[in-house]
Amino acid sequence: MQEQPPPTWVDAVDLEDVPEGQVKGVRLSGQFIALYRHGGQLYATSDICTHEYALLSGGWLENGEIECPLHGTRFRITDGSCLGPFGHDLRCFQTRVRHGRIEVALSPEDSE
Amino acid sequence: MFLQNYWYAAAWSTEVGRTLFARTICNEPIVFYRTQAGLAVAMEDRCCHRRLPLRMGKVIGDNLQCHYHGITFEPGGRCVKVPGQALVPPSARVRTYPVSERHGLLWVFLGGPELADESAIPDYHWITDADWGAKGAYFHVKAHYLLIVENLLDLTHLAFVHATTIGNTAVVESADVQFQKGPLRVDVRRLMKNSAPPPTYVRAGGFTGNIDRWQFINFAPPGFVRLETGGCDAGREADPTAKRITLRNLNIVTPETDASSHYFWAQCHDFDVRNSKLTEMIFSDVQEAFLQDVAVFEAQQQSIEQNPDAPEIDVNGDVGGLQARRIVRELLELQAARCQTIA
Repeated sequence: MQEQPPPTWVDAVDLEDVPEGQVKGVRLSGQFIALYRHGGQLYATSDICTHEYALLSGGWLENGEIECPLHGTRFRITDGSCLGPFGHDLRCFQTRVRHGRIEVALSPEDSE
Repeated sequence: MFLQNYWYAAAWSTEVGRTLFARTICNEPIVFYRTQAGLAVAMEDRCCHRRLPLRMGKVIGDNLQCHYHGITFEPGGRCVKVPGQALVPPSARVRTYPVSERHGLLWVFLGGPELADESAIPDYHWITDADWGAKGAYFHVKAHYLLIVENLLDLTHLAFVHATTIGNTAVVESADVQFQKGPLRVDVRRLMKNSAPPPTYVRAGGFTGNIDRWQFINFAPPGFVRLETGGCDAGREADPTAKRITLRNLNIVTPETDASSHYFWAQCHDFDVRNSKLTEMIFSDVQEAFLQDVAVFEAQQQSIEQNPDAPEIDVNGDVGGLQARRIVRELLELQAARCQTIA
């Protein structure tokens, strides 16, 4: 079995830039990533709606679900699962906080 | 199909006088006039006898006399005279609509008269408020009213359609945009920090350097779009000596038919409010821009009619317009469900 290369932790924004209940879109190594804070936890998913390419960070975060601003597709931010009505699951990323900064784990193929 | 239980602007109040004035509102032909006391009347524009449009008739005293056989209706729509016969059949009547005059506009209510609550007319007080300079206009637009609504909710078009007046590239490229939605409203808040002032702002506000610019857009169904826009010297928001201007761009869009609209709008400013030359200058800049928009709406409508099933894509700037369309769609579904329950 081929071993996965370790992820690269990429610096994103200050922890304070993502307040509780909010979503923030960032661009890391060319990737559009949405950062969320919900119930005190940080989450990160791809920021691009799998339906029609809208930025999810322009949408609305409610009860741990992000609603796409264009056509209302909802995704669970904890695991990226698509709750419909359009699209499919979102890719998720691991996050961690170092010295008050949020970092996101990207695999080597994520880098542009 | 249009939303029924709403007030629609039918005319600027000054357009309606002692002669007959007709407009179709949401596919319903309506004729307007004023009684001797100056009260506005809105009546179905169709004689209940042989369906001639009543607008071809004339006002006699407080009543309207049909052009064809002289059948006469009082302001409540009841027939009071059938020439050549002594008897007036009780079924001889035309529909009348509740009216209200607010903010310089004449409004009609298309739903059940018992639901006509004037407090539901949205706030457009800036048009007649002495603390504001204001000028309004009317455009007849050969396009569906939601094409106008969505245009106002996505101001990225300013950079392209209105580069000579109120737009520049900062409007699209360096704006921080937030969308808020409620069950009956959409708000788009756009901030452009430290950006070059557009031509109209330079002319009206005398800005010489960059400005912090804002555009707050509010939509309420069916066709109410109110904008607060303005700018102040960049980075000097808290400084009372900084140059600052606030404008209100007020839009009231009434469907005429499925493919045409009555577009009432006014441009208001909160500085130098007695300066009619300034009012006129700002108004004509915006009017020039809006006429550029009308050309877009009418071309879109033609394109849509030519090929109704052609696909469209949506982009991030469309959030406001899509949310507005969603609200209208859901209200129409509710209205249809209610009609079915009653039937």
